[in-house]
Amino acid sequence: MSRITFEKVNRSFVRGGESFQALADVDLVVEDREFVAIVGPSGCGKTTLMRMVAGLEFPSTGSVRVDNVEITEPGPDRAVVFQAFALFPWKSVEENIGFGLKCKGMGAVERAPIVKRFVELMGLASYESAYPHQLSGGMQQRVAIARSYALEPGVLLMDEPFGALDAQTRVVMQEELIRISRLNPRTVLFITHAVDEAVYLADRVVVMSRRPGRIKEIIDVRSVRQRENWDSLEHIEEVMDTASFVHLRTHIWRLLREQHEAAPAH
Amino acid sequence: MAEVTPGSRRSGRRLAVLSIAGMVGFFAFWQLLALSGWFPERYLPGPAKVVETMFALSIDKYSGATLWGHLTASIGRFGIGFLLAAAIGIPLGLLMGWYRWLDDIVSPFFETLRFVAPIAWVPFAGLWFGTGIGGPTLIIFSGAFPPCLINAYRGAKFVDKRLLEAARTLGASGPRIVAEVLLPASLPSILAGLRVSAGIGWQSLVGAELIVVGSGVGYMMVQGQLNVDTPIVMAGMVAIGLVGVVIDFTLRSAEGRIKKHWGR
Amino acid sequence: MSDTSPGDTYRPTQQARRVLIGLGAFTVAILIWFVLSATGFSTGGRFPTPTDAWRAAVQISTSPGYAGGTLFQHVLQSCRLVLLGFAAAVLTGVPVGLLMGASRRVDALIGPVFSLLRPIPPLAWIPLAILWLGLGDMAKIFLIWVAAFTPSVINTYTGVRNIDTTLIEAARVHGAGTRSLMLEVLVPGALPMIFTGLRLSLQASWTTLVAAELVGAFTGLGKVLSNAALDINPGMILFAMIWVGLLGAAMTRALEWIEGRALPWLK
Repeated sequence: MSRITFEKVNRSFVRGGESFQALADVDLVVEDREFVAIVGPSGCGKTTLMRMVAGLEFPSTGSVRVDNVEITEPGPDRAVVFQAFALFPWKSVEENIGFGLKCKGMGAVERAPIVKRFVELMGLASYESAYPHQLSGGMQQRVAIARSYALEPGVLLMDEPFGALDAQTRVVMQEELIRISRLNPRTVLFITHAVDEAVYLADRVVVMSRRPGRIKEIIDVRSVRQRENWDSLEHIEEVMDTASFVHLRTHIWRLLREQHEAAPAH
Repeated sequence: MAEVTPGSRRSGRRLAVLSIAGMVGFFAFWQLLALSGWFPERYLPGPAKVVETMFALSIDKYSGATLWGHLTASIGRFGIGFLLAAAIGIPLGLLMGWYRWLDDIVSPFFETLRFVAPIAWVPFAGLWFGTGIGGPTLIIFSGAFPPCLINAYRGAKFVDKRLLEAARTLGASGPRIVAEVLLPASLPSILAGLRVSAGIGWQSLVGAELIVVGSGVGYMMVQGQLNVDTPIVMAGMVAIGLVGVVIDFTLRSAEGRIKKHWGR
Repeated sequence: MSDTSPGDTYRPTQQARRVLIGLGAFTVAILIWFVLSATGFSTGGRFPTPTDAWRAAVQISTSPGYAGGTLFQHVLQSCRLVLLGFAAAVLTGVPVGLLMGASRRVDALIGPVFSLLRPIPPLAWIPLAILWLGLGDMAKIFLIWVAAFTPSVINTYTGVRNIDTTLIEAARVHGAGTRSLMLEVLVPGALPMIFTGLRLSLQASWTTLVAAELVGAFTGLGKVLSNAALDINPGMILFAMIWVGLLGAAMTRALEWIEGRALPWLK
């Protein structure tokens, strides 16, 4: 069971003598194996929320728990896929994917079949010995996802993982991610700017306000998806063409636009 | 950079305490070793004795001059060699960056001579100049010259092409371009080169003074060594280190001030 | 110099022309040298003539050699000491640099003492080394260690500090403990800069050894230089200098070759 609980999370920091509040009173529960996307304007603290679950940052007040255990440090049970891929340039594709397993103490013989499985799952066959700099952005991100997935973590944290990819590769990766999540479901916290992406991928979409970040609204996408049977459609563009999808997307856009209009003009 | 040791958030104050502890520990350990009597005092004076010696040397002469006298001689030699290296190296580097034929001719010689460590010039320096000023100048020059040349060259070569095109379309000739475009544009690189050059030059000076001279801090240290006067030797080392720091600091602030003035 | 700026690549014909001009200038210089020597221009026997150099080469290459040994023996001695001192410096310096780079605490503890001792040029340690350890091998190895230790530490330290923070986070979120982090992330990540440090250490080792041998030694290339100066033998000085330069260059090239092999992942 991997259930994420944010309870009255506040985060403020001091810069140049002034105090800034990044997050204000965030309460959220992500159920086991739920795919939750967080969208919001820049600086709303969505990435900070994810990093708190990762154990890379900590709340000023309030608590962040996974399965009722408070988080104190990073660990393989909460793997992260970064926007900048963060692949180790000195390791080959295979070695990158096997990294987490190696840290767990698995020997080379034990690791090999697992790595092989994920190489095939992510469509990386014949690239096992390549180094990151020899791969395209999309391929690199596949390796990053494989690396995290290989650990079969209870929680998968994704920080705008497709942000650095071009539009077409992005679409391909989104379809890939859906495919893998169906095969290998787990609790996912997905941070993104792209509303399309969020609605397409998530069970629920959390919309955040400008700084100080609060939860503005949580939209239930799953019920709509099931009712309108999006899964029967093969391609992303078909899903994005349905009235229900458009309706959800427009709703979220409106919420975000309110934020912009409330903001003083810079 | 984020803290590498897992799960930690260190306060700055604790680190400062560690730093002070480290330094105090070092000096305390040194002083204790000296006092322990394991090593004869002639060979391992404690830090207190070294400082005392430095003060004494400010007044009394050793091997012909006080500490200041020796330092002046050393710094003077360094100055001449360094300025000569800069005066020749920087213009030559800029010109080589612009005139390819010059580059083609000079480079082979430069690349071959560069590999000879400055210290290896000492025998010829002694042979050709005796204990005159020429000897140390040659040695310091051989060490200080390459960075000046290389950095001026690189600065000129990597100048924004558009600036050069602008100058040429406005009718500027070769020499004018070198003086009024390449030189200012290469200034950051040149200044960085000067700092490296000064560092190497100062180090080469020490080497020169161990052999071919009759005054200066290096000479003083050698005399101290011959007389088994370790405090003198250590005092010399400290003095050399301090002057090196001062030179580097001066150049660094000059570099900083020029950068601010030019708005980089 | 073979530096080329962006948009200024040397085409094959230009490259050939450049080499030719270089060779030409060199040949001219050597010819001038021969001519000047032949016309007896040499300043009172203090400037080496080609015949001087040749005579010196022959003398030192054949038994019983010069200054207590043949060229081979001197070269062997000098190289041996450099390698020993260099190895000692690297094996101590790189780990220290790693520790200081990885741990703020270690850095705070050791850093200041380091900064205090750093400004003292390695050559300034020579009189002290002679006082403490005499003129033999130990003194030389000690001096080489002093000279080569610092570049190794500093470059390793910078290499570790320059590692992209995201990579370190990526390692931690996939479960890397301190040991894995050190061995699988910090060391490989810092390796390019560690090699830069090694190159600088090697150069410093060589320079310091020659200087130490010049000041006082029983054997080695520096000793040859020193004796040749006292004997007023410019030919021998020149010959020894050439060897100092050659060996320095050879060692650097060897290290660069190793570097190329050790870092296959660099573009």
